[in-house]
Amino acid sequence: MTIITDATIAPPRLGKRAGASRRQWIGLLYVAPAVALVVVFFLIPLGMTAWMSLHNWPLMGEHSYIGLGNYVAILRDTRFWNALRFTAYYTVIVTIAIFVVAFPLALFVERPRPLTNLYRTMFFMPAVVGFASASLLWSWLLNVDSGLFSPAAYDLGLIDRKFNLLATFQPAFWSIIAMVVWKVAGFTMIILMAGLQSIPQDLQEAAVIDGAGPFARFRAITLPLMRRTLALALILSVAGSILAFDQFYIILRGGPRNQTLTAVYWIFNQSFVSFKLGYGAALSMVLLVVLVALSLVQLWLLRKPEGLD
Amino acid sequence: MRNLIAKLALAAAVLGSGLGTAAAETANIWVRADGSNFMPRIVDAYNKAHTNQVKLDIIPNAEIIPKYGAAAAGGTAPDALSLDLIYTPSFAAAGQLEDITDWAKSLPYFASLSPAHVKTGTYKDHIYGLPFSADASVLIWNKKLFKQAGLDPEKGPANWAEIAADAEKVNVLGGNIKGFYFSGNCGGCNIFTFTPLIWASGGDILSEDGSKATLDSPQLRSAIDLYRSMVKKDLVPAGAQTDTGANFFAAFAAGNIGISPSGAFAIGALNTQYPDIDYGVTFLPGKDSGWSSFAGGDNFVVTKGTTKLPVVKEFLDFAYSLEGQTILAKYGSLPVRGDIAKEALRDLDPRYQIAAEAMAKGRTPYSVVFNDLINSANGPWTQMINEVFFGDDVDGAISNAQETMQSIIDQAPQK
Repeated sequence: MTIITDATIAPPRLGKRAGASRRQWIGLLYVAPAVALVVVFFLIPLGMTAWMSLHNWPLMGEHSYIGLGNYVAILRDTRFWNALRFTAYYTVIVTIAIFVVAFPLALFVERPRPLTNLYRTMFFMPAVVGFASASLLWSWLLNVDSGLFSPAAYDLGLIDRKFNLLATFQPAFWSIIAMVVWKVAGFTMIILMAGLQSIPQDLQEAAVIDGAGPFARFRAITLPLMRRTLALALILSVAGSILAFDQFYIILRGGPRNQTLTAVYWIFNQSFVSFKLGYGAALSMVLLVVLVALSLVQLWLLRKPEGLD
Repeated sequence: MRNLIAKLALAAAVLGSGLGTAAAETANIWVRADGSNFMPRIVDAYNKAHTNQVKLDIIPNAEIIPKYGAAAAGGTAPDALSLDLIYTPSFAAAGQLEDITDWAKSLPYFASLSPAHVKTGTYKDHIYGLPFSADASVLIWNKKLFKQAGLDPEKGPANWAEIAADAEKVNVLGGNIKGFYFSGNCGGCNIFTFTPLIWASGGDILSEDGSKATLDSPQLRSAIDLYRSMVKKDLVPAGAQTDTGANFFAAFAAGNIGISPSGAFAIGALNTQYPDIDYGVTFLPGKDSGWSSFAGGDNFVVTKGTTKLPVVKEFLDFAYSLEGQTILAKYGSLPVRGDIAKEALRDLDPRYQIAAEAMAKGRTPYSVVFNDLINSANGPWTQMINEVFFGDDVDGAISNAQETMQSIIDQAPQK
């Protein structure tokens, strides 16, 4: 406490060297709460997860050290690798789908025109709904007996028999994709819009004067200058998709026939359905490594090219 | 000063407990949300009549197991809990429960306690759980729709052919009305209502001790054929294929379903929430004759090492009294004491008698990995029932489930 008061009312003119070292200490003090949060809620749990992953750790009863036993078991766990493969497939599809929808939306709402604010709000609205609530909403919309899509199509005479969208893989999977795009595209749109608006107008105008068409401007000016924004949007989307769980748990329960079990879903099942906490921890560590590696690759791909500011 | 406060507190405590000689103790008990109707009533009744007190916590169904596990690891587990009976073997195997064999066997009515509960409460010849609440699976039919379809509204189906025929007749009424309903993607619902069809015909899905999966039986196949044929004839709403249990009760309660396998809980729920539905209750029949039922409900288990054992015993004694059993029956659980069941149900809806009879002869599969095998939404049983009722490859689905179930059993920790 005294240090803080000292610091805040310290006379501004001190010896240059003493001031610098003092400022460093004060800086450290200022970030201390954040550091404490990260340590308590991230580093310590991470360490505990790593520690647990080396044990046979049932939810109840004694745990015992088994070294790398859990990791060896993962190598043989075909259902986990299947889940990881499905997660990768889902990530690729949903990320493409989100960008395909979000980019045009961003271009559309970037420039001021009548009702722009209304459009922005409209497109962004689903993003403020939690994933769990959105999933509950859609699981009702998709319900074959009392929902919206199938009964509406039936009542309009488009189909002569109610079609259960969630009963087979393809319609169920694409229903989820539609729901996620509806929910997330607005958020990605805002990020991309911010990126678009940060591009200086005079660059575009200069290009127009040089005779560049809209496509050439998009490729040579917009895209390169949006690298960082794209990197951010991409990493957020990929990380979010690899950790997907709520929508598959709430709407599909991993079905139809366990074909939509994601990696996190499998970890949840092992930990809290089969009560193998140690094994679940080991799976989490594997997923963490995969996620960090993927993020590094993306950062590298979208790194700042040399010579460009 | 501190001394004074202590003296005052002591005086207050003595005054508060009246002239009681022993200090009153409070035991903490958990129950899953399924018991949220009857449990608070019986706890209130106990607390009013006793010096010792029980503090009740109601935990959501899906969370009670992980929450209890976490609490046990942290040393804050409740003194006892009312636990879905199928979990008793795995909890006992984990060394989490107090051995109550001697006390249980000293109860004069021990022999008339629900046998299915006692069987799942027993692990390696020691008793770790005693019956608390009970629910038996039965078949219910909508009398109004039966009448409209020209069927005798007072006569429920007594074999599989009659189920299919009655469902078809009701289905003819058309519109939103369908003949039959089951939750086609819910393992827990179908172990409760579908396996009795197999049992009543002489088959089983697990060996007696739970060490072998015995799925590939003619009885299972013909029960599957019954459901498949009804699905094929469009007697079942399309939503059944993806129902993970949410509509298990609600579908029938809406009044558009002719016949549905259900549980004794439906009697209380229909009477109180849907008084307009006129329904009948009968046994889940075998292929040609006979009947069976799944005996479900909760076992009462005691956390190992609790210091409140006397309170817990006193509470359970109270629950087993005629008064306790009547409270349970009135608020949605079947009585678990066979010798006084009739008396406890005397003033209640007569349809409970059928359910109580079903309970007395009810069966419960025994397995330390029941959750992994049966209840898990991603387990082999759930996957199989969905594939065999709605898919194209019945043989493949059965052999796949048989193999997966056996490997889960074999990999279970042997202690």
